[in-house]
Amino acid sequence: MMPVVLNGSSIKAKSEEAGVAVSVKAVNMVYDGVHAVRSASFDLEAGKFLTILGPSGSGKTTLLRLIAGFQRPTSGEIFINGAAVSAVPPHRRSIGMVFQKLALFPHMTAAENVAFPLKMRRSDARDIPARVERYLDMVRLGGYGARRVHELSGGQQQRVAIARALVFEPDLLLLDEPLAALDRKLREEMQLEFRRIQRELGVTTINVTHDQREALVVSDEIIVMDGGEIQQKARPAETYRSPSNAFVANFIGVTNFLDAQGGERRAIRAEKIRIAATRDGLAGTDMIVEGLVVDAIFEGERVVYEVRVASLGDALLRVFDHDPSAHSQLEAGSAVCLGWAASDVLEFKP
Amino acid sequence: MRAAKSAYPLTWRIMDALEAFAAFVWPARFGRAIPWLMLAPALLLVGLLVLGLWLIGDASLRTLDTSTFLMSETYTLANYRRAFTESLFAVVAWRSLAGSLMVTAATLILAFPYAYVMVRTSSPVIRKLLLIALFLPFFIGQVVRAYGWLIILGNQGMVNEALSLVGIAPIRLLYNYWAVLFGLVQYMLPFAVLMLAPALTAIPEELEAAAGSLGADWLRTFRHVVLPLARPGLVGAGLVVLTLSLTDFAMPAILGGGSQDFIANAIYDQFFRTSDQGLGSTLALLLVATGSLLVGLVFTLFGAGTLAMGRARQ
Repeated sequence: MMPVVLNGSSIKAKSEEAGVAVSVKAVNMVYDGVHAVRSASFDLEAGKFLTILGPSGSGKTTLLRLIAGFQRPTSGEIFINGAAVSAVPPHRRSIGMVFQKLALFPHMTAAENVAFPLKMRRSDARDIPARVERYLDMVRLGGYGARRVHELSGGQQQRVAIARALVFEPDLLLLDEPLAALDRKLREEMQLEFRRIQRELGVTTINVTHDQREALVVSDEIIVMDGGEIQQKARPAETYRSPSNAFVANFIGVTNFLDAQGGERRAIRAEKIRIAATRDGLAGTDMIVEGLVVDAIFEGERVVYEVRVASLGDALLRVFDHDPSAHSQLEAGSAVCLGWAASDVLEFKP
Repeated sequence: MRAAKSAYPLTWRIMDALEAFAAFVWPARFGRAIPWLMLAPALLLVGLLVLGLWLIGDASLRTLDTSTFLMSETYTLANYRRAFTESLFAVVAWRSLAGSLMVTAATLILAFPYAYVMVRTSSPVIRKLLLIALFLPFFIGQVVRAYGWLIILGNQGMVNEALSLVGIAPIRLLYNYWAVLFGLVQYMLPFAVLMLAPALTAIPEELEAAAGSLGADWLRTFRHVVLPLARPGLVGAGLVVLTLSLTDFAMPAILGGGSQDFIANAIYDQFFRTSDQGLGSTLALLLVATGSLLVGLVFTLFGAGTLAMGRARQ
C-alpha cells in the first residue's frame, strides 16, 4: 500500500514550535479516600510519544483521565499548549482518545464513527467525506468505510478507533491501554502501527500501559508509576539501563536482587549473568559464584536458568543464556558457575 | 484387582445406576422433544385465548333481543354498524386512543431521566432510593392508588385544603380527562422505567465519555449516542405503556368518575350493565384490532429487530 501523505499542516506547525505540549504540575487526585495520584509533575515536549507504565492501581489511568478531562484533579494544574485546562470539559479540549474497549459507536458504520468528531466540531460538511476517506486510508482501511463496527475484526476496529481519534487533528492523542485485549501477534503489529502513525502526523501522544515491552518499543519517553507516584521519567534505553530505584528495576526487565549491603540494594539483570559448567568458561567476568541449576527452560532463542546460590543466602537467580547452541544445555541438578562484571551491578539507595 | 475396585467408589456406582435408569425412562433421542415440551404450557394458554377470541367473535355477530334478553340465532353485522355509527363509541374510541398516545409520550419523557440516573449514578444510596420509590407503587395496586389520588385531589382533598390556606377557592381537579391521564402516567411510570433500565445498562458508559472527548456536549451525546442506542428499550417500553393505557379500566372509572370512559369501560357497561354481550364482544374485538394495528405500526416503523430479538443484533 502507498504511504498516505496528509496535509496536516496545523499539526506539523505545532510540533515545529517544539515547545512544551503538556505540562502536569503538582497534580493530586484523591477519591473515595484513595490517593490515586500523588504530586505528579512532568513536562512533555510537543510531538513526543510518552508512555506511562505501571502495574494496575499505580494511578496511570487516573492520570490519563485527568489529562483527558473526565475527572478534575483534587489539587494541582494541567496545562495543554500553555493553557490551564482543569476547568475545561472534555468536549472543549482538543484531545483525541483511544479507549481501552475502543468505545466505537455500534449503531454507526466505520466511516460514520470517523466522521463523528468532525460533525460534533461543526466542520464544513462538504469536507467531511474526503477527510474521513483520507484517515481511513491512513490506517489502511480504505474501502471499509461502509462496514458496521461488528462486521470488522479486532485489529480493524482498533484502526477505526485510531482514525476517529485523529481525524479532527487534535493537539494531543491519548491511548488508554487499547492494545491490552489483543493477542500477542496483533498487539505487536499494532504497536508498530501506532508508532508509524504517530511519527507520520507528529502528534503529541500519551500512552498508558502495563506492558513493559510495549513501553520500550513505542515510546520516546517512559514514565514509570507506582502507588500513585512517578518513579522515573526517562528515555526507554535509559530507563532500562539505569533504573532510578528498585521498583523500576524490578518492573522493567528481569532483575535479580542480591544481598543488601549497608542498606543499599544491589541487583543484576538476568541477561548480564553468564553461566558455565566451570570457572574456565567465565573469562572476563570479575564476580563469580557457584550454584545449582533448579530449572532450565528452553524458549527457543534463549534458555532461562533458575540457579540456587548458597553463598547469596540461597537466592534463586534467573539467568538468560542467549546462545544455547554454543554449548550443550545444562541440566537441572548440575552444579554451575555464574559470573558477571562488577560494572553491570545496579545499586539503589534505600 | 482389589485396588481397581476400591478406586471406583460406591457413590460413583450409584450415580451410574441412576444415569442408566434415567436413560431408560428418557432416552437421549427424546432430547429433541424437550424444547417443545417446555413450550407446551404457554402454547396451551395462548390456544385457550384464541378459543375465547373465537367465541367473542361469534357473539359479536348476534344481537340482543331486548324483550327476551336472548341472543339472536342468526348472524348479523348490526353490532358493528352501531359501533361505527353511534357517536358515543367514536368519542370513547378517540378519547382512549388520543389519551393512550399522550400518556405514552409523557411517560417515556418522564421515565427516561429516571432510568438514566438510576443506571448511571455512582451512589448506591441514590440507586436504592430510586428503586424503592419505583417498586413501592407496585405493591399498592392500581385501584388503591387511584383512591389515593381521590384523597389528594378531591374537593376537600389535600391540594384544595392547601390552596384554601392561601385564599384560593377550591378547584375541581378530579373527574376530568386530565385527571385520568395524570393517573395513568403515574401508574405507567414504573413499567416504563423497568423496561428502559436494562436497555440503558447495555450502553457502555465509555461510549458517552468517548463522545465527550470527540467534541460532543451532553445534549449532542444524548441525541447522537444514547438515544439511538436506547431505541430498543424505548420501543419496548412505549409498546407496553401504549397497550396497557389503551385497555385500562380502573383509572378512567375512578378518576374519570363515569364521565371519562375508555373503551374498556364501555365494554364493561355492555357486558354487566346492559347485558348486551353482542355489542360488548364487538367493542372488545375492535379494541383488540386497534391494539394489534398500533403494535404492527410500531414494528413496521422501527422494525421488530429494535426489541433486540433474533441474532442480527450482537
